[in-house]
Amino acid sequence: MQRRDFIQQCSSATAAMMLTGITGVSMRPSFMPNNEIFVLVFLRGGCDGLQLIAPVNDPYYFADREPALRVTESGENGGIKLKNGLGDVDFRLHAAAAQLKELYDSDQLAIIHSCGLTNGTRSHFDAQDMIEKGIQSKKNISEGWLARYLNSISDKSNFSAIAAGSSMPLSLWGSPTAVSINGINDFALQADGNFNNLIRKSYNDQSILSKTAQQTFYTIDMLQKKIPRRANGETIPYKPDGSANYKDDDFGKSMKNLAQLIKLDIGLHVSTVDYGGWDTHEYQAFRFPDLVKSLSQNLHAFYNDVNKYQNRVTVLVMSEFGRRVKSNKSNGTDHGFGNAMLALGGNVKGGKMYGNWKGLKTENLDNGVDLSVTTDYRTILHEILTKRMNVTDSMKYILPFYSPVAPINFLG
Amino acid sequence: MSNSLIFNRINPPPLEYLMLNKLGFGPSEWSLERLKQLGLKGYVDEQLNPDDSADDILNKKLKECSYPIEYEQFSADGSKRIIKENRFYDLINAPLDQLWPLYKDAVNYEEKIYPAKQVFGATILRAVYSKWQLKELMVDFWHNHFNVSVKIDDRVAITFPIYDREVIRLNTLGNFRTMLEAVAKSVAMQCFLDNASSKASPANENFARELFELHTLGAEHYLNHLYNRWREVPGAVDGKPEGYIDEDVYEAARAFTGWTIADGADDWKGGKFANSGEFNYFEQWHDNYQKRVLGVEFNPNQPPMSDGKKVLDILANHPGTAKYICRKLCTRIISDKPSETIIELAAREWMLSVNKPDQIARVVKLIAMSEECRLTWGDKIKRPLELAISSFRAVEATVTPNNNLMWVLLQMGQQPFAWPTPTGYPDQSSYWINAEMLLRRWNFPINLMNYYWHNYAKADASSQVPEELKTCKEVASFWLKKILGYIPEGDTLQHLSVYLADGGKPEREMYGKGNLRNEKISWLVSAILLLPDFQVR
Repeated sequence: MQRRDFIQQCSSATAAMMLTGITGVSMRPSFMPNNEIFVLVFLRGGCDGLQLIAPVNDPYYFADREPALRVTESGENGGIKLKNGLGDVDFRLHAAAAQLKELYDSDQLAIIHSCGLTNGTRSHFDAQDMIEKGIQSKKNISEGWLARYLNSISDKSNFSAIAAGSSMPLSLWGSPTAVSINGINDFALQADGNFNNLIRKSYNDQSILSKTAQQTFYTIDMLQKKIPRRANGETIPYKPDGSANYKDDDFGKSMKNLAQLIKLDIGLHVSTVDYGGWDTHEYQAFRFPDLVKSLSQNLHAFYNDVNKYQNRVTVLVMSEFGRRVKSNKSNGTDHGFGNAMLALGGNVKGGKMYGNWKGLKTENLDNGVDLSVTTDYRTILHEILTKRMNVTDSMKYILPFYSPVAPINFLG
Repeated sequence: MSNSLIFNRINPPPLEYLMLNKLGFGPSEWSLERLKQLGLKGYVDEQLNPDDSADDILNKKLKECSYPIEYEQFSADGSKRIIKENRFYDLINAPLDQLWPLYKDAVNYEEKIYPAKQVFGATILRAVYSKWQLKELMVDFWHNHFNVSVKIDDRVAITFPIYDREVIRLNTLGNFRTMLEAVAKSVAMQCFLDNASSKASPANENFARELFELHTLGAEHYLNHLYNRWREVPGAVDGKPEGYIDEDVYEAARAFTGWTIADGADDWKGGKFANSGEFNYFEQWHDNYQKRVLGVEFNPNQPPMSDGKKVLDILANHPGTAKYICRKLCTRIISDKPSETIIELAAREWMLSVNKPDQIARVVKLIAMSEECRLTWGDKIKRPLELAISSFRAVEATVTPNNNLMWVLLQMGQQPFAWPTPTGYPDQSSYWINAEMLLRRWNFPINLMNYYWHNYAKADASSQVPEELKTCKEVASFWLKKILGYIPEGDTLQHLSVYLADGGKPEREMYGKGNLRNEKISWLVSAILLLPDFQVR
């Protein structure tokens, strides 16, 4: 092979790899206002917001859905009545969400309904891609919106951003500081000091692989230093706060890890948790209650576990889209549009529903089939960025194609 | 602008190393020899006409190895029986009527998942030991392209040997249209994407949507902003639309109503399906009225299955499908960002061969023989499966797949056949490079070479070093060249030699004999497998 050809190929690859799209927009020196701890929970697959927070007295809801996929006022699928709903609609939480009701009643949990991505895609992967990049149409942009936020702040301590899980979600792609952590106590190379040193010497250039490796070494060192140990050096397994009762499942494990990381006081500022399995095209009546139970119980457990941090924590729960109003003949629902979002935290004006509810009358639906999107998901992100992260000038860089509208004021 | 290359090396490894990493699961002694002997063209030709009966080492492994199964069985009287066996790889060749009886409530979950575990074990053995590396790479490609997860549905796990054998492997270098229909009728896909329960009306859209978005045209051809204005899709009124809209998904979902599985379920018409696990067309679930898919009108009341088959015909013959799948193929084989030129060339070959029985082999050959394939290196990270298999091959490990290997791959993020969504495992490096995943992939060679709790592989690093090589530097050089094909520029050899010399001079002879020496060389080999140079392809 000709060396020259090879270098040419490499440099065209470099060009292709360069961060495309927006660069050089004001990198305003910022700070970490309120020592905010922002947690983004993404429900992958399209959570059925109409069975999670249901308009039980809407006649169209009643007519369009199989009884088993409906929350009702009473009986087997009777839902939990919510105070401060929207208009005169009787909104009820799914019966498996009792712990969410508790958080709602303590005014720490707000529900925003009928919101989402304004682009009408019904593709999971396109919708997630756009939402996680903070945009509304396919664009040649490679960074996530949280990554752009992190790139815009001056205080880039190494643990400001953590994906609690085994992979890094798109919202954090392109952040040089974000790390993914799944296990905490065992986050180490299973080898002695000499071997560790040898490997560190191998990852010493400016490539993406080396830079990520250096971050990984830093994470290993920091966690190994911070984890509490017994006198003999053994690490002490994490014990949640007494009242926190996590479910023993993947989502529970991620939320528990996150609580542990917060309590290690390593400077966590932004974090993400993925929770998959919401694509209920069939047998939704069997699958949905378990999904909701885990969501509800683990959010509740997490929030109690970090009780000393509640005034700094904001949790946002979202999904790529909602599901079809009308159920299909497999006892499921297909991909829909508008959905509910949940916001939990000490600064959330909870115990209240937000959003513009147009109802499920066919003429008011998107394309006659799906709940409309009356609040752009970016309006919610914008309010969090403004009120919890004190973002001002760099907003155009973080949400590049968004024209701000009046906030819905779910945050104090 | 900081350097945004994944990996910094300027000089590529020797051509044989480069190509064997792209056209398979990394170099082995046999593959290196064969490639040198036949030249690239001869090698690729042979790889695309694999003769299974000539795969002697693999065939011996498949015959002699076994995969463990262990569980507790409780009888009606409360007594407990412990099943703990190593079973030969019989289920990978089992017919449906041997597998389907596992689909009963009374059968233990470990027995239900076991056919899929045998496929897992056999897949690992094939990737490690098969001469036909390009075929194995393509099998992996199609399993991901037509991804189903064996963890989602018992019916998928139970029939997985058939999906692997008669749907994916049989067609892996064959004709796409043939494979597409085999996939659509398979128990695995019918159950994974819910078409088995789809009936008129409203139909279940899950399969139809992913058929367009993931199996054929790809999201790049989804023109959702035109939602219900099909005449505005460029080319649509001439019956040649450039892309699809939601209406096409709805109509295709109607076309596939009635395609289901004879799994003994209630047919909702007062009867029950047969319980054989076979594909089953049930007319009473079919939506028989007229349809319009991608600008093509379908008359009402067509013969059984003809609506669905017509959708498959349209999609398999669409140039958008050629483009989308060729982009994926080039991304798999060449690099994360293949040029539009090579994608166009491959797509042209795809369309020219669209009715040929060896359509896929022809396209793969074009990509494999392209200059771009030879001239790019290191801008794609190995996925965990490739990392594991290429490590096994590089150190000539004796591999006996078991649940520990499955668990380790899960930890690294890529347990085969377990990705939960229909996309298959991501094929862009950006997904795989983050702290958690790097750490897990670093611990892999450490465990492989130095700890034996896992029992899935054993390698003797020390005995492979020729006796005449005495000094630490010679030993380190030997293993670097064996694993990477070259000595990296810079200090790598120096650092490794000093490590081997316990901080002493690289030129000194290695101390110790027997275990001490073996252990030290094993650690050296794990360090080489950890180098950035070994992480990429």
